[in-house]
Amino acid sequence: MFDTTGFWKDIFIFILVLVVVYTLLKTFTLKYFKNKDRAKTVGLNIFLVLGILYLFYRIYRVIYDNFPDFATMFMMTNIINQTLQVSVLALATTGIVLIFKTSATTNFAQGMIATFGAFLSAKMIQYFTLNYTDMTVTTMVFLAMIGGAITAFLFGVFVDAVIIRNSKDKSPIGKQMITMGLVLVLAGAMPLIFGKILMPIPKMSYEPNIAFKLFGIDLFITVHAYYALIITVVLLVILFSMLRFTKWGLGVRATASNELVAGMMGVNTKVITSMSWAIAGLLGAVAAVMLTPNATNVTVALMTPTQVNAFMAAILGSFSSFLGPLVAAILIPVLTGLLSLVVPLWQNAVVYLIILAVVLVKPMGLFGKKIAKKV
Amino acid sequence: MMICRTEVSKDRKARIKQITNHPYFGFFIITFLMLIVQLLRVAGVPVSNTLIRAFGITMIYIIIALGFSILLGYAGLASLGTAGFVGIGTYILGYFTKNLEASIFIVILVSILGAIVIGLIVGFISLRIEGMYLAIITLGLSEILNEVFKNAVSITNGTNGLGLDSQLIIFKNLIFVNHNTIFIFTAIIMFIMMILTLNLIKSPTGRALLAMRNSTSAAQAMGVSILKYRLMAFIVSTVYAMLGGVIYMSYISFSIPTTWSLAFSLNILAAVIVGGSQSIYGIVLGTFMIFGLNLGVFQQFDFFKENPAISVMFNGLLIILVIMFYPGGLIRLVTTSYYKLKKALAKLKMKWRNYRYGSDN
Repeated sequence: MFDTTGFWKDIFIFILVLVVVYTLLKTFTLKYFKNKDRAKTVGLNIFLVLGILYLFYRIYRVIYDNFPDFATMFMMTNIINQTLQVSVLALATTGIVLIFKTSATTNFAQGMIATFGAFLSAKMIQYFTLNYTDMTVTTMVFLAMIGGAITAFLFGVFVDAVIIRNSKDKSPIGKQMITMGLVLVLAGAMPLIFGKILMPIPKMSYEPNIAFKLFGIDLFITVHAYYALIITVVLLVILFSMLRFTKWGLGVRATASNELVAGMMGVNTKVITSMSWAIAGLLGAVAAVMLTPNATNVTVALMTPTQVNAFMAAILGSFSSFLGPLVAAILIPVLTGLLSLVVPLWQNAVVYLIILAVVLVKPMGLFGKKIAKKV
Repeated sequence: MMICRTEVSKDRKARIKQITNHPYFGFFIITFLMLIVQLLRVAGVPVSNTLIRAFGITMIYIIIALGFSILLGYAGLASLGTAGFVGIGTYILGYFTKNLEASIFIVILVSILGAIVIGLIVGFISLRIEGMYLAIITLGLSEILNEVFKNAVSITNGTNGLGLDSQLIIFKNLIFVNHNTIFIFTAIIMFIMMILTLNLIKSPTGRALLAMRNSTSAAQAMGVSILKYRLMAFIVSTVYAMLGGVIYMSYISFSIPTTWSLAFSLNILAAVIVGGSQSIYGIVLGTFMIFGLNLGVFQQFDFFKENPAISVMFNGLLIILVIMFYPGGLIRLVTTSYYKLKKALAKLKMKWRNYRYGSDN
């Protein structure tokens, strides 16, 4: 699409310069700092942020060289177009992190539980369109979304009560494999339970796009993405305030730091874990219903790319915090969208490679803290 | 006369026992059982094509699962990159035969070298990122490889898939090989791989890997180099996977990116876990449960043909049940029930003897 000569060369040179400067600084100036570990991590963070900013700048330059007049608009439009992806990814990632905090396992079945909800939503929409012809699209999708979310909520409780609670004493990798088995079970069960879905889930609204101004640039956003953003923000604000201010949130934080001690201190860890599985399912189902209009139909593999991206976001932002994965969930779709302009078709591979490089430098993620382990 | 005859029979019995107790005997029996289907066909018994194909694919999956078991069962590293590595193997054979017209031996050499390089890279990653995170990172790596398979059209022919017309090049001669020949070759390679795996896990290397699996810190304290053995485990498993890919391509003659997705890695994982990740017989059993039953038995019935999802569900249920209730895999269930049966039979025999001849006291 664009002339990208020199793009990769510049980036490699920049990364090399960063590495050399960092090594020089580390060897010669580290002894002047009192808290050496802290200085090291702060330095690394600064250099990583510099690298990511340079990547954005270089993409901007490539667009600018080709379209000098519209470069900023081009970039902003591209970022705004990713609103829906960002919302979906943010919800999915938060669900995965919530489960990791309480059950100490990476839930591979998150996407499948979400798809379970989406299947029920699609069935509900089929029923509504056949029986209530005067219903508007928006109400229909909202009702279906609530139905799907409640189903996924109950299913999350069911999974926790039947499987996860009974495999508490298994190793983390064993628990992880149980969730992989759950993926296969659900992938096999859903076509049997729901049959073929004939009707796709429609968008939340087909009204004309909303136009708005940002930094003096005319932009527009589809109503569907706008609604998705609002729902995501509302859900996440409710969830985070619950985590911060309610007794349940305190319980989650206590369970996350040490499940055994939390149980001894009177926290009902069973309820905490099953609630977090349920809420993760709910978030995933809402995300799946919002995503489906972009895919053609509800299928078993609907959430698989989102699931992989959500894992990547959680790894990039660190599993140990809630805010880090959220930042990564915004960063990944935006980067993918921008890179699709520069290296069409290869954008996903490049983004995964960048994440791999970042994680190799900081194994605990961008916002993670190193936790000292007793041997 | 009488004494002489018993001595001969005793001698023969001891010799037979020597053969049956040999560690390779079981592998030989498994290989022979696999080959029987093919031999029956040669003898003129009508065996359906799908059944033979099912056996062939199962053997290829056994090779891949053996490599994966060294990683999971012995080194304790959970990886989801298997699909990508097998995919690379298939594309190496496809590209080298079709475009470069290279001999199969060069292909095998190149795939082993490539496997060593990739194994080194993943091994170094595994030194930084451990435990649960490693599965996610290798999943990401597999996704990258899948993107490469999709987009590097000049090598992989993109999403249309790469076909070979069942041709191979051996010493510059283009040969149209028969699938039956490759079936027999696959069986022999499986036999060799089993022997290699057994020797590897009984050697000091295997013991070091086991020590590392149980506790990295304790292993390091005993002088086991984590760097060396992690890299080694990844290299071995990648070599097995790539060889599996090369054999897969020569047997099926077709490779398409959608095959090398997360589902493939999960199924290999399922096979290793269900059978028992620390036993070669367990892996054979597990691969049969996951792939062989579906391909060879279920596909013969119309009910399963119409609902292919049931076998997927069955696999998932098996994984969950095995991890929750039989952590050693189904092979441990088989061996324990065998010993229990033996004990019960001995008891019964004793009881009968007491009844027949009267008890000792």
